[in-house]
Amino acid sequence: MALLELRNVYKAFGGLQAINGVNLKVEEGEIVSIIGPNGAGKSTLFNLITGVYRPDRGEIYFQGRRIDGLRPDQVCRLGIARTFQNLRLFNNLTVLENVLIPQHHRLGLHWIHAVLRTPAYRRREEEMRATALEKLAFFGPRLMTFRLHQPVRVLSYANRRRTEMARAMATGAKLLLLDEPSAGMNPRETQEITQIIRRFRDEGGYTVVLVEHKMNLVGEISDRVVVLDYGEKIAEGDYREVIQNPRVIEAYLGRKEG
Amino acid sequence: MRDRILTLATLILATLAIYGLTQMEGSGSLVSALTLVFIWSIAAISLNLINGQLGILSLGHHGFMMIGGYLTALLMLPEKERSPFRTRLLSDWARENLDLNRWLEALGLGFLAQSTDAKFVIALILAGLAAALVGLIVGIPSLRLKGDYLAIVTFGFGEIIRLLPNAPEVARFTNGPLGIKGVPGDAGTLWWTFAVFLITLWFFSRLKFSSYGRAFEGIREDEIAAEAMGVNLAYHKVLAFSISAFFAGVAGGLYASYLQSVDTQTFNFFVTFFLLVAISLGGLGSITGAVLGTAIVLLVRIYGGFLEEPRPAYVALFAISGLMILAFAFSVYIRRARHLRPVIEPKHLIFLGTGVGLMLLTLAFFSTPFVQQEVQFFGMRKILLAVLLILIMIYRREGIMGRSEFSWKLLFGPREDIPTEEQRKQDAWLTNPELNPDAGKGNNGAS
Repeated sequence: MALLELRNVYKAFGGLQAINGVNLKVEEGEIVSIIGPNGAGKSTLFNLITGVYRPDRGEIYFQGRRIDGLRPDQVCRLGIARTFQNLRLFNNLTVLENVLIPQHHRLGLHWIHAVLRTPAYRRREEEMRATALEKLAFFGPRLMTFRLHQPVRVLSYANRRRTEMARAMATGAKLLLLDEPSAGMNPRETQEITQIIRRFRDEGGYTVVLVEHKMNLVGEISDRVVVLDYGEKIAEGDYREVIQNPRVIEAYLGRKEG
Repeated sequence: MRDRILTLATLILATLAIYGLTQMEGSGSLVSALTLVFIWSIAAISLNLINGQLGILSLGHHGFMMIGGYLTALLMLPEKERSPFRTRLLSDWARENLDLNRWLEALGLGFLAQSTDAKFVIALILAGLAAALVGLIVGIPSLRLKGDYLAIVTFGFGEIIRLLPNAPEVARFTNGPLGIKGVPGDAGTLWWTFAVFLITLWFFSRLKFSSYGRAFEGIREDEIAAEAMGVNLAYHKVLAFSISAFFAGVAGGLYASYLQSVDTQTFNFFVTFFLLVAISLGGLGSITGAVLGTAIVLLVRIYGGFLEEPRPAYVALFAISGLMILAFAFSVYIRRARHLRPVIEPKHLIFLGTGVGLMLLTLAFFSTPFVQQEVQFFGMRKILLAVLLILIMIYRREGIMGRSEFSWKLLFGPREDIPTEEQRKQDAWLTNPELNPDAGKGNNGAS
């Protein structure tokens, strides 16, 4: 059984067919990249999976459970977490708080426990802190000492990206959807992100689906590449095969006249 | 440990101070001012949960306070005040049955009816629960909306709740426009309000620094991200709304007891407006700020009377020029502390020059009738508050406290968000591997 499966999904915004009958299977432990020109429907696909949009037609399954039509928080609870193309962090909260909030849904205690600070609540709070530090440790010690207590808005751009990924991991998800994880990063930071994503799978046991524009990153880490154009899947397979595909070249560069 | 001792010491000092105040001769006005500060702080803290922590503009707080006020008043109304002559519009059924004494006896808890204080505890909890229930009913449909739309809907609900007691059908339970008079004043005293204030402080600070408080603040920062991270928006919004309504109801009950009466004008829209001003002044999202803002606004209102007394004009002129010079000195101090260059800009000098000039002019023409005449500024307190609010909005939009809270750590350290020298060095080579002393010796770092 595939971890994530999209069956014949359609989504239109007014007259624009953003997603046009996409089928997609993601197996556990895979790193799948979704590429395509601007406006191909990559982000819409993420929004459909995470419950921000509801598909017009078609079904989405996660671990065999149908998830289309669920609210984003319900989807997150089932084990799908995402990052956003243009960072959506809790800017005035500290790094630690940013990584604690995604664990709130696993608290499992009534708010009265939180106010009375019952032993059960204290224990959970300790565990949540430990999890937060464990996730931040993926990115080395840079976010773990004094930055832990700094508001996110004072961090550098790369550190904010890292915080957002740590936040997604802290939800307890199995599947991470990364929307352009290397956007706005310099080559060295992109290189680091590449290794981080690989470590997500190898050390963290996560399955990763990413939308990305930087082809060297895509080529380096993807087990499989899916190409979207005008909401349709036009190619799928190994990176080297896919970039040779004439339809993909056409989508990116246009058709040769004559 | 240190923090606990300090908190305990502060509590004991505050209690002693209040005891001393109540024993002092002629402290009546100060006692009632403090009582009001406590009552309104409770309301402000509760409004702050929605407007500051959850980031939702709610304008219906007076409605919740009113429910608490009316319920407390009705339940606590003593037998002699219930005569048909005093409560003309109340139906016989309500006169007979809306009485905590009867309820307690029916439950076999008649012994509790002996003590007014015990009855007040029960009545205030019931008042809070009633307000929370209404908060739930109002919140579930309206909290789907966002921003201005939600503000208008909550305002509408608040006004409906406020106007309902006047409706003939409802007047049978609320005595209509006549209001309820003769409510016992026991819970409107300094000790009572102080205790409830402490409980409120304790409750809201615990809530704020818990997982739920973080979820609320996450919703304020970014709703979409919070939802994507598994925070159930509807549940948390309605939860915050009803908790807030509960404490608003309690504050309303305390206020009704303080006034010893309640009618439809007691809790009008200006109540919500006043609370909004107080929390914006103190800092949206900060419990400390809510208390501070309430205290400032109330104390200026109560003790600002001296500003409106008739005085010779030169007093006003000296005050204005003195303030201008002080403002200049303050800006120099701030700009120096923040390392802003230049410390003094031409516009600051013009400001200072105007101040000094005004002072010299006043001195030069000191004996002229214009400077000697008696002047009086009615409404000076309100102007002062408005000017204060304008200045805060221009120079410190987040309010006096911003989102931060008072804590002993803030005063005495250690500050965890400021790197130590060692951390700074370590950080330098993390972001710039060339500085790494171990670089080149089989480096297996992240980059």
